[in-house]
Amino acid sequence: MATSRKLDCKNLHGYLKTLPWHVLDKLYSHPATCLAVFRQLPDLSKHYVMRMLFIEQHVSQSVVNLWVNSKYQDEQKQAITALTDLRVWHEETMTGGLQGWKMNQTFRKNMKIALLGGGNPWTSGEQLPPDKHSKDIPFLDKYALERWECVLHFMVGSTEGTEGVSRDIIDVLLHAGLMKSDSMEPLPSITPEGFQFLLMETGSQVWYFVLQYLETVEQRGMDLIECLSFLFQLSFSTLGKDYSTEGMTENQLKFLQHLREFGLVYQRKRKSNRYYPTLLAINLASGLSGLSSDSQRSGYLVVETNYRVYAYTDSPLQVALLALFCEMLYRFPTMSIGNLTRTSIRDALARGITAEQMVNFLRSHVHPMMLKNNPVIPPAITDQIRLWELERNRFKFTDGVLYSQFLSQTDFELLRDYAKDLGVCVWDSPEKRVMVVTRFGHDDVKRFWKRQKQSNS
Amino acid sequence: MEGENGVSISSQLVIILDTNPVWWGKSGSLGDGQGISLTKCLESVMVFANSHLMMSSLNDLSVIAAHTNKSVMLYPNRTHISTESSSNDGRYELFCRMNDQIKDKVKTIVLQNMEGAFHSDSLIAGAMAIGLCYLNRIERENELREGTLSSRILVIKGSEDNPEQYMNFMNAVFTAQKQNVVIDACILDNDSGLLQQACDITGGIYLKIPQVTGLLQYLLWVFLPDPLERPKLTLPPKVQVDYRAACFCHRNLIDIGYVCSVCLSIFCTFSPICPTCQTSFKFLGPPKMLKKRSKKLQT
Repeated sequence: MATSRKLDCKNLHGYLKTLPWHVLDKLYSHPATCLAVFRQLPDLSKHYVMRMLFIEQHVSQSVVNLWVNSKYQDEQKQAITALTDLRVWHEETMTGGLQGWKMNQTFRKNMKIALLGGGNPWTSGEQLPPDKHSKDIPFLDKYALERWECVLHFMVGSTEGTEGVSRDIIDVLLHAGLMKSDSMEPLPSITPEGFQFLLMETGSQVWYFVLQYLETVEQRGMDLIECLSFLFQLSFSTLGKDYSTEGMTENQLKFLQHLREFGLVYQRKRKSNRYYPTLLAINLASGLSGLSSDSQRSGYLVVETNYRVYAYTDSPLQVALLALFCEMLYRFPTMSIGNLTRTSIRDALARGITAEQMVNFLRSHVHPMMLKNNPVIPPAITDQIRLWELERNRFKFTDGVLYSQFLSQTDFELLRDYAKDLGVCVWDSPEKRVMVVTRFGHDDVKRFWKRQKQSNS
Repeated sequence: MEGENGVSISSQLVIILDTNPVWWGKSGSLGDGQGISLTKCLESVMVFANSHLMMSSLNDLSVIAAHTNKSVMLYPNRTHISTESSSNDGRYELFCRMNDQIKDKVKTIVLQNMEGAFHSDSLIAGAMAIGLCYLNRIERENELREGTLSSRILVIKGSEDNPEQYMNFMNAVFTAQKQNVVIDACILDNDSGLLQQACDITGGIYLKIPQVTGLLQYLLWVFLPDPLERPKLTLPPKVQVDYRAACFCHRNLIDIGYVCSVCLSIFCTFSPICPTCQTSFKFLGPPKMLKKRSKKLQT
């Protein structure tokens, strides 16, 4: 039974909902966060916000309800709760006793600034003179991926490039439960969750990692709000443009150094007063909506119906990832070949990787030539991987209470029939006079039995 | 944006803005509360464009100006020399850049076309063709990407219709229908029969704005939702469509006319040789009444 917990990758919306309301209110004081929050809202809520943005008064609830076709009441309710949960608007009684919605004034003000202009610039400080060591976009992409792969390398335990991983990153990995440290070994080892993490797309990985990082932020004595608004500001900046560190607070500078380590920003030197956001940072707000940020990197896998996998890559990390659930056979300078076998898949399943994750990994990294096929991965392969997973799920566990030591067969039958009528009897054996009732039905059956005993005596 | 089954929808919007100098000149000189100046309209359109881009990071935008003698792509524009963002304020950088580009381009169009004859109509059909080409390119580029692409064209128009464009216009409309591009029309002044047909054929919204000063609010309410979301919202009802065709000979809108049996060209007067396909109709004798009835067609 692989009951290891599935890695729960919250999206921004889910994350924000967990924040206390006073934090939310403070967050909205920056246009970038308002934009990011807005983009995460359900579609209908977005329209609600746009419609109310320029209406400077309460809007009655009945009017808002009329905006949506009566067939879509459910979505309407979702949209309204999403807005209330994130404190974008709140209920207020209008003059005349009607219930109305009132938009959060801070949110409204900063949305307008983001949309129309005005207010203070996002990054303080004057225009920087042109950079002598100006970097172009391909360089930044390469840099970001290199930095990120460093972290992944460290997780899979390959020796390459691990020297670049600092104590801070290790702390986050430990905190997230992706790795656990053993007193015996100097370096922490990877957990089942860590394996799941490795197979996620880069965008989701970064987002998950940053979320975990943010949870540790307060322990480091940094301000969560400052970090979040800086993060969102980054995600709305332009790729290939340099920004000044001038006017940033001590905390933000510290945060910037951490981001630099993960490859979210590029800074030539620690003391340099300019930084470049990379694709990882810019995709942060969008990548979590399920958009593949790997589209920049072309795939490298070819999967054949005979379970053979060809990986056209020379990156040891990519091969190591594949080797998580694939038996590697040959390795050539630019290509590796492996087989998907029952053993290799079962090993992976035992480590807590799900079949869905393996199939997703294969699908999101296939070679462009494979994309022409429909379906992309041969169905024989995907079905077999899923079957191998199902093979392990032959047991089903139900919590239950055992009833035994009945004095007579009639007592037993009476109680068993009662439980069966309720549909809470899991198993029974008349020969041994034992039966198992689900935990949920235990109270009812017990009460029935007591009543029965009283009336008999 | 996320669809019902979790597929990401990227919404492509082409805005065609009518920049006809004759109409804008007239509208701008009207008293307060009736007319709207091009600057004000442009501001509203830019806020609308910003809002569209704000809805989702997957959304894409293009703006085309339909002038009286040419159609110009305002955005995106690769040749634009980026004058370092002059207004350094709290606006999102992308919006800032886009708005600057559009403003600069409109300025050049207006300044370049100070001389020469002005017509009271704009080249909407040409602009639509450019828009369709652009959408087609985007679609090709995104073929391998996952997710749905929903494209539409929004025409913001004040000037009069020109029946001379009928053929080109209809061709563009049917292309749009084939390509699954929705055409919306936001009419500032003169009702347009052609656009009514276009919206009806492609399933878009045709709206003549009752109050021009509230342009932005109309744009945000009616035209911001993507066609895929529209069934969910309460939107203005469809208008009665004027389905008259223009004849090929004089470009007049007609109710009843003559149709060539070979190439289906429409004419307001009878001619023995079809000017479009050169077919000659060889019946010299038949009585006039009979002939007329057989050729009569209601379109």
